[in-house]
Amino acid sequence: MDLPGPFPVGRYAKTLRDELRKRARVLLIGEITGLRQTSKQAYFELRDREGAVPCTIWANDLERLDLPEGALRDGAEFIAGGGPDYFTGSATSSPAFSFRVTQLRLAGEGDLLARLEALRKQLRTEGLFELQKQLARPALPKTIGVVTAESGAARRDLVVGLERRGWRGTVIWGFAPVQDRRAAPAIAAAIQDLAAQPRVEAIVVTRGGGSLADLWAFCDETLCRTVAMSRVPVISAVGHERDSTLIDDVAAVACSTPTHAAEAAVPLDCVTARMALERSAAALQRAADGAVRARTPHLAALARGPGRALRRERLALNQKTREIRAASERGVAERLGFQRRVAGVVLERAARRAAGPEMERRRDALRRAAVALRAHEPERTLERGYALVEDQSGAPVTTAAAATAAGRVRLRFADGGVGARVEEEDA
Amino acid sequence: MTEKPESYEVAVERLEQIIDRLDSGQAGLRETLELCREGRELVAYCAAELDAVGEGLKELNLDELAARLEGSPS
Repeated sequence: MDLPGPFPVGRYAKTLRDELRKRARVLLIGEITGLRQTSKQAYFELRDREGAVPCTIWANDLERLDLPEGALRDGAEFIAGGGPDYFTGSATSSPAFSFRVTQLRLAGEGDLLARLEALRKQLRTEGLFELQKQLARPALPKTIGVVTAESGAARRDLVVGLERRGWRGTVIWGFAPVQDRRAAPAIAAAIQDLAAQPRVEAIVVTRGGGSLADLWAFCDETLCRTVAMSRVPVISAVGHERDSTLIDDVAAVACSTPTHAAEAAVPLDCVTARMALERSAAALQRAADGAVRARTPHLAALARGPGRALRRERLALNQKTREIRAASERGVAERLGFQRRVAGVVLERAARRAAGPEMERRRDALRRAAVALRAHEPERTLERGYALVEDQSGAPVTTAAAATAAGRVRLRFADGGVGARVEEEDA
Repeated sequence: MTEKPESYEVAVERLEQIIDRLDSGQAGLRETLELCREGRELVAYCAAELDAVGEGLKELNLDELAARLEGSPS
């Protein structure tokens, strides 16, 4: 151990005390807890959510402060002025650290408001003001939970408010102290227990009016966080001044009186709802009756002339039948024509395919006939040196007598014709 | 009833729609009778809900409920 010393502990304790006493003297704000008094001193802790400091004050200093009777008590919010001190103890007594208080006063409205504002800002930044407002509140809950003092005007006012709404469901009372240091944890626990009851549909937290110090429990950070996170909507009605306590900010609805809280917990006025329902039932009945009545003349007309109506319907039916039949016949004819055209084309193509070889055979025969025919043509004979004798009209002259009778004839050679005159044979 | 409404307010909203439609005179006979039937079911549901909170205020104590829960074997 490479450290200076060892020093006698008593001397070290005194050095420590002197060092602590050099620290700057300050004002602290917090809640008084664990208060006890002896003839020489008063002991308590000044505490808030983040921590605590043990405090001592000399009895004569306390007397000189002239605090109001009963003001110094557990749960009260105080401002203490002083500085750290260290009781060094002795061979037989234990040492102790404490904040030596020389000034002490009840935290004023201003002090509380400043703390409240800081807390409010923080919770708002965390979004805790919005959570409850997003919860659906049933218009007609059957069971509501109420956190309030067992004896108090708030309880009575709430019941009156519910009665006035014509609501006579189930109330589960979560009684809790509403003003002292036990209040905030007890209220938070009651809210949690009520929210754990499956049938509780809304929770009312209420107490009567008072100073901000009286209502301070409803600004407790842990309580307000519990309310914000509750799955059941919480309706706050604390004191008479709206928005003075933090619970009003985190609650689903903040009301100024227990009567208003009753209205917020049961949004539906059961008395007027019943009347509205009766009106609705009557309207439905009227509509049902009216619908039948409005159609009665038509029904009556049908009832009076069933034969005529039947005839009219039958005519219409016949007309329709005819139209349908005609349409269908036309359809058939069109289809048939089309099929015929298709068949014709198909047959023609088939015939053409089948006629191919036959045509060839016929063409051959024709060629042979042409050759045979040409052999008998007069032109072919003329080419061999014969001449054809024709009369003036072009008819063949086949006898000598006919030639003599004609007088003039025409001789047709292969390359053309010449005129000739017939003369008598001398012989 | 064909289907139980989600809540009183949902039932009332639907009921108002039905009455508006009927009042408009545009619904045919079949629709009118159908709407009247649905409307009567909604009225019956709402009346039952109101009856459920009309019997008389019932008061319970949370501490007793909690004690009963803790005392119950489970």
